[in-house]
Amino acid sequence: MPPSLRRSAALRVMKLNERSVAHYATCNSPPDKTGFLWKKGERNPTYHRRWCVLKGNMLFYFEERDSREPVGVIVLEGCTVELCDSESEEFAFAIRFDCARARIYKLAAENQVAMESWVKALSRATFDYMRLLVRELERQLEEAQQVALSQQAKNKPKKSQVQGGNGGRSKPTSLQGPLTQPTGSPEEGLLSLIPGKENGVSWNKPAGLSNGVGEGSGVVWEAEGRGDSVRPPPIPPRRKTPGGSLEDPVSPGTGCFSKLHDWYGKEVAELRVEWLQGQ
Amino acid sequence: MRFNEKELIFLSRQPSERAAELGMRGPKKGDVMKRRLVKLIVNFLFYFRTDEEEPVGALLLEQCRVEREDDMAFSIAFLDEAERKYLFECDSQEQCLEWIDAIIKASYEFMRKNLIFYRSEIHRLTGKDPLEQYGISDETRFQVSSGLPPLPPPPT
Repeated sequence: MPPSLRRSAALRVMKLNERSVAHYATCNSPPDKTGFLWKKGERNPTYHRRWCVLKGNMLFYFEERDSREPVGVIVLEGCTVELCDSESEEFAFAIRFDCARARIYKLAAENQVAMESWVKALSRATFDYMRLLVRELERQLEEAQQVALSQQAKNKPKKSQVQGGNGGRSKPTSLQGPLTQPTGSPEEGLLSLIPGKENGVSWNKPAGLSNGVGEGSGVVWEAEGRGDSVRPPPIPPRRKTPGGSLEDPVSPGTGCFSKLHDWYGKEVAELRVEWLQGQ
Repeated sequence: MRFNEKELIFLSRQPSERAAELGMRGPKKGDVMKRRLVKLIVNFLFYFRTDEEEPVGALLLEQCRVEREDDMAFSIAFLDEAERKYLFECDSQEQCLEWIDAIIKASYEFMRKNLIFYRSEIHRLTGKDPLEQYGISDETRFQVSSGLPPLPPPPT
């Protein structure tokens, strides 16, 4: 189809799996924060009271607390959150994006405590933040495991250290999958590692799937070349960026989580001081 | 439902976890297989016409099920409409498996579970809560029992 017959790019609306996104808002996965906020209208400048639900990197807003569907959602990836002055609203803050002609979403809380709590939660709501945190904890866990292993070696010099045939790395046998009691077999431990049961990502297709449930989970891990079934779930792969550093419009581009965390905390603290001084 | 389309389009231009030209077919009857540039960025799957800069659409990858459909194909379905599947055709088995793996790991919920697991393991091994130094120990999203349905007890 020649370009002239397509709808012009300016008019085209990007598709989104809206029904499923709305379902995510109201399904039983736990929200990270909920509460009433005043939100400045999209077209008119008045503030409307909205029931807000923060889940992951999405801020949903509903007309009422018991509304079945959200009025809308703000995808928070790449945003910065700042305190702001508002003539009509105390305790106002804004969600701002870096892209050209981006909207500024103005919100206001009921009181100082609520405002600070929302600002804190929203500025740490990005997928990137979570990913850095997970990576940092995985590193800490590996360190802790190494320490535990070397202590085992000291305490029981005769015990064989290599278990599970996985080269130089073996685990204390008490390590099991997340959130479970130690289970009987590695497969069961591994099954509990599959995220499928709770958030629906699963391998449970009986016909046509070359791997059954037990093996299917093996595919997930084996894709990473790991055969050891009693191993913590691998972290999401690092986003590929030029120069090897994480490029994030929000973060200072540091790969070190504690620095990033301090940066967020410092930014909020600085803004607060500025705001207080401006009062 | 309103959403911040401009910002989402901007997000679709960021460096991706994974990108490739794949065959893609929508979930409706009558949808046909089309060649699309598919990009995985955070928990979104963007898809573009191969010669265009702005995406045709995006799929939020939360509450979804990824299944192998064939040697070289996989599908994504969302829990609220499990029969409607988006089908993707890859160029090789390996590529297919890599995409499945990447998409499963692309959800915020998946990362949350990892994080909770690492947190409790670190605590078990060291006696310390690794989140304390960041001052985020009390955040709801990091709690083990925050609203998730209890896991079935291990078989005896």
